[in-house]
Amino acid sequence: MTKVMKSPKSVDILFTSRCNLSCKYCSNSTGDIPEDLPVSEWIQFIEELGRNSVLNIGIGGGEPFIRDDLTELIESIVKNRMRYTIVSNGSLITESIASFIASTGRCDSIQISIDGSHSQPHDVFRGKGSFYGAISGLECLRKQGIAVGVRVTIHRKNVTDLDNIAQFLLDDLKLPRFSTNAASFFGECRMNSEEVQLTVADRVLAMNTLLRLSDRYSNRISASAGPLAEARRWHQMEMARQTDAVSFPGAGCLSACGGVYSLIAVRSDGIIIPCSQMTHIELGRINHSDFRETWQYHPYLERLRNRVATPLSDFQFCKGCEYIPYCRGNCPALAYTLTGEENHPSPDACLKRFLESGGSIPALLNEKEAR
Amino acid sequence: MKSTSIVQVNESYVFREEFDDWALLFNPDSSETFGMNQISSFIYKHLDGANTIESIVNKLAVECSEVPPDVETVVTEFIQNLIDKGLAEVKE
Repeated sequence: MTKVMKSPKSVDILFTSRCNLSCKYCSNSTGDIPEDLPVSEWIQFIEELGRNSVLNIGIGGGEPFIRDDLTELIESIVKNRMRYTIVSNGSLITESIASFIASTGRCDSIQISIDGSHSQPHDVFRGKGSFYGAISGLECLRKQGIAVGVRVTIHRKNVTDLDNIAQFLLDDLKLPRFSTNAASFFGECRMNSEEVQLTVADRVLAMNTLLRLSDRYSNRISASAGPLAEARRWHQMEMARQTDAVSFPGAGCLSACGGVYSLIAVRSDGIIIPCSQMTHIELGRINHSDFRETWQYHPYLERLRNRVATPLSDFQFCKGCEYIPYCRGNCPALAYTLTGEENHPSPDACLKRFLESGGSIPALLNEKEAR
Repeated sequence: MKSTSIVQVNESYVFREEFDDWALLFNPDSSETFGMNQISSFIYKHLDGANTIESIVNKLAVECSEVPPDVETVVTEFIQNLIDKGLAEVKE
């Protein structure tokens, strides 16, 4: 059995499934949960997290700022000696709430989604007015000195706007950095995949553009998933394959995701889930199930933790692949939405499949990119 | 500080046990974090406002094998270090 900490370091709480927008590639699939738990239930749970020495709460949704009682929830987090981050579309953030957040001194960052250099590529899948809402929220937070992380989700309608987006965010708004990913086969995006998800040609374009921009802006553009991350990772894998290098540490097995060792999540109806993208796996309910017991011993979590011992060579999907010694199988949540099985390599981030579909790996512009 | 002194931890810090009785001390206001090994975790957990330094040393001697002869000095220095960093305070 894999060794596990006594409690998770972080808990992602989707305090609501409601949102003022209906983005076509929203990664959350909690919209069918009819009611949010009342604040009293959440406060009881936050107190339990405090007793279990959890350090951070990731506040998500839905749109967290749609809750009128969000300040009460944050006050409870602070009272129970934790810090927090928030993921938001930005449009409901006012000067008043930004001032409150600043006053807590415990907010590590607020992530705002900005997917265009102007309203059209942002609003096309998020709804009219959402771009200006996001910028307004961003400015409220910056006025208060709150750390803001801008996330650009790349889709079919903004993939040709990346140069302008970088210029807008880094030169015009003078943000220190921003991160990128791509519309992924989660939540609402599953219904609109053909319309919003990148084609193979789009992915190649995005990878080349982002590598060039990352070089031009001295690595102020980051990614843990999506085209930029894939460009870097796949380049390393291809270099290793060509030189017959020794396998990467932990590679050759389903070792990509370490989330189940340090964090857990809770849906807006109080159901405990392994992560905010695995809403289908119900581990228990807050204030009913023993939180620490669930974290340490739930059989499903043990199964996910033990996936690291599953060799990729066991899968028919990976048969004959030369990249196995350099591959970690990628995101288990995405593997589930695409194959119906978490303990399976994710087809979406499979280099072999990408190349067979006509994709190509861009050359890195800067040696630093490879690290 | 005397062997009869009673020290209490600063409860604004989070004491978080991780693997094999190793622990983190975390200040949620500053994110400042200290790592603690098994022995320092043992001592920290006994700084509860009731134990004297002498009683902590005695309990440590029971729990551990091969306790060095200068254990009281070492424990006192460690506790003084905690106090200097604002992680604990003398109660009596």
